Amino acid sequence: MTLHTPSTDFPIVSTYRRLLAQDPDLTMPVAAIESLVEALQAHPTSTISETLNTISTLSDTLIKSTANPISLMAGTDLFRRYLTTSLRPGSILGGSLGVGDFDAIRRHLLSERYLFVSNAKEARAQIASIGKRFVRDGCTVLTTGGSRVVAALLNEAAENSKSGGSIRFKVIYVLPSNSSSQTQNRGPEGADVVSTLREKGVPVATISEGAVAYAMGKVDMVIVGAEGVVENGGVISRLGTCQIGMLAKSAGKPFYVVAESHKFVRIFPLGQYDLPVDQNVVDFKVEDEKSSRGKSKLNDIEEGVEMSAQDGFFPSTLANANVEDAVDFTPPEYISGIITESGVLTPSAVSEELIKIWF
Amino acid sequence: MPSATVSLTPGLSTFQKSLKTREVESSIEQFISLLKRRQIRNSRPCALATAELLLKVVGEFPKRDAAKLFERIRSVGQRLIAAQPREMVVGNIVRRVLSLVRLIINDLEHEDDSLDASGANTPAQLHSPRPKLHSTFSMISPLKHGMQPLDSTALHDPSGLRDLPSRPPLLTSHTSYAPTGAPTVTSLFGLFSHPTASDSNTSTPPNYNSPSSSKPISFAEKIFKIEEHQQDIKTDVVDGIKEILEELEIVDEQIASNALDHIHSNEIILTHTSSLTVQKFLLTAARKRKFTVVHVEGYPNESDEVHDTLLNGARTGEPTTDERWKPLTAAGITVILIPDSAVFAIMSRVNKVILATHTVLANGGLVAACGAKVIAQAAKCHQTPVVVLSGVYKLSPVYPFDCEELIEFGDAGRVAGYEEGEFVERIAVENPLYDYVAPELVDLYISNLGGHAPSYLYHVVAEHYNVEDVNLGA
Repeated sequence: MTLHTPSTDFPIVSTYRRLLAQDPDLTMPVAAIESLVEALQAHPTSTISETLNTISTLSDTLIKSTANPISLMAGTDLFRRYLTTSLRPGSILGGSLGVGDFDAIRRHLLSERYLFVSNAKEARAQIASIGKRFVRDGCTVLTTGGSRVVAALLNEAAENSKSGGSIRFKVIYVLPSNSSSQTQNRGPEGADVVSTLREKGVPVATISEGAVAYAMGKVDMVIVGAEGVVENGGVISRLGTCQIGMLAKSAGKPFYVVAESHKFVRIFPLGQYDLPVDQNVVDFKVEDEKSSRGKSKLNDIEEGVEMSAQDGFFPSTLANANVEDAVDFTPPEYISGIITESGVLTPSAVSEELIKIWF
Repeated sequence: MPSATVSLTPGLSTFQKSLKTREVESSIEQFISLLKRRQIRNSRPCALATAELLLKVVGEFPKRDAAKLFERIRSVGQRLIAAQPREMVVGNIVRRVLSLVRLIINDLEHEDDSLDASGANTPAQLHSPRPKLHSTFSMISPLKHGMQPLDSTALHDPSGLRDLPSRPPLLTSHTSYAPTGAPTVTSLFGLFSHPTASDSNTSTPPNYNSPSSSKPISFAEKIFKIEEHQQDIKTDVVDGIKEILEELEIVDEQIASNALDHIHSNEIILTHTSSLTVQKFLLTAARKRKFTVVHVEGYPNESDEVHDTLLNGARTGEPTTDERWKPLTAAGITVILIPDSAVFAIMSRVNKVILATHTVLANGGLVAACGAKVIAQAAKCHQTPVVVLSGVYKLSPVYPFDCEELIEFGDAGRVAGYEEGEFVERIAVENPLYDYVAPELVDLYISNLGGHAPSYLYHVVAEHYNVEDVNLGA
């Protein structure tokens, strides 16, 4: 029984990366599902357990290859669960029906794979159309990160105001301040959203992460994206989201998260350091960094928090990438609502959604 | 006697009387104008009038056409909602009826399918108010259930109009008269579904043998199918609306049956407004226990009625009828009336706050008579539990995107009389009727289904309304 050998041949990681690179609008969970479907296509499997084994091996490979697999896990888990759920009755009844079911599912998956991508994009548009109702006349929205859903939402609201609507709103965009190397290359994350919004006539102010508390008084609501929505209703998102959530809570401003429901992931983090991610954000050192470099910034003063200290040497060292891609966990008590394509959920509704597919 | 009826101010009872004799269209017009003139106001009368009007609309609908009936209810509903958007129960009842019609059509469709598929294998689902709870662990599933992966569109149709035995809703032990059955929230598997071709009237009927080409069964097609079979859904709809009416009638008793779990001996309970629901709740508890009620006056909008209620007992119906409950004092309860300004001062002694509400919103917030927010904030400050009593019919699927637009302003003359010319001239007087109370200020909701945490209300909403009907007014 060499179930694993054929599947491991498939270049799942490169497929995944290629898919992500091909379509900038593709989210990680969908890309993961896509690549799994491609793998299935490349390797005809004939039995259910073979398929499931293949999928789980490939998923593990994929998860291991990524530094931050949370978003990806949401995709692979959902796909595996979908397969198991759809295959279960057939596998139990056995006989011809089981085989028929399996083939049908396989065919459905392979022939309709492009549908998943369009469904995912559809979901984003749906979220934008629900979420834009939050943006009221005269309000100021604070946002951060490079979330495409948030961008879609704000753009939709901006379109609304342009096409004769009476919605005039302002945006405060929190841009990461630490990435000097990034600014030169392609601008910080979210810069493109800022320029599109400005083009549409929406007044946008960009502030640094340190100015969030200062700006909070002018803000009516906070809208952020998420990499993953976890079981207790909290979200995993770009580093800095949690502190914005805390500040919003203390200022009594609503804090909304926009996320497609395929980003729901079945993990239950108990705190910041309980995430299945390896990130070296707090890095204690006794040796001083080479602070003689010309552009020594706050980084070295800030106690051990490593912030692209070596960017003079390697623009994309691991340490640098780590902080750029680092995530934090925003507990559910800071979240007023999660805007998904099926409506605005309270954080506690997330667990029910997950329970519905897993149990 | 007829002359007496004429001289009465128009209201719920006159509307109910005239409903028997008038034409449908003129009844609708009458209700709309009553709503606009605020002659029918507050949740219960609005809910009753809406349900009775819809009963008449359905009952006198001339054709057997399911699609037209659905459209008709929808358009009447839209007119009613447009007449008075802030009376959200009107919209709630309309949505309840619409989801009822959807459910009946779905059930018929389902029955058809199983008849077609396996002859005698007809689950008696038409008469069960909700789908039987399939355990997903159950190895034995009906044929239809086993076939589902093929008909993946029905399973994952995000519109919520899927075939019934899809993923079972989360086990809830409550039963209500709600025509539920639509699965609660869209499944996460939505990603794998076909796009909903909601307007694909022209597409061919689904072919179960080739799943890759199977199209989702759109609602329109289902209706079409029903028409083919010439099934009359009218009687079912009428029965359903009657059930809603029945629910409206007994909702207070159902809520009051929880009273003894929440009110204990020698407690001090703070409440406001002359709500019948709250009075009944307190009276039920008063039968067995002795406690103290602190009643907030609610000046200027509520004070007269509050005084009246405290002295003579709550009215059981319209102001025109004289049937009353006995006052709390007659049941041996100490009642203390305080002005609104004393709420904070007295809150430290209060054990529990019980509030009535105008509307409950999907996020767990509520719109209640003005003063509710002060009470809730004061209770929060003193860590006093806040319990809100609300029938499910007050629970609206509308998300409060803008809390301010929910607040209605009333007659400023009640704050400062117009006879004080100089005063009115110089000073702006405002009289908001309602307050929006945020969900985090409420500890518990008690509805006719039992107690719910505010964060759980989304589930009750999903059980009672169809997602597609939420944006009726738009």
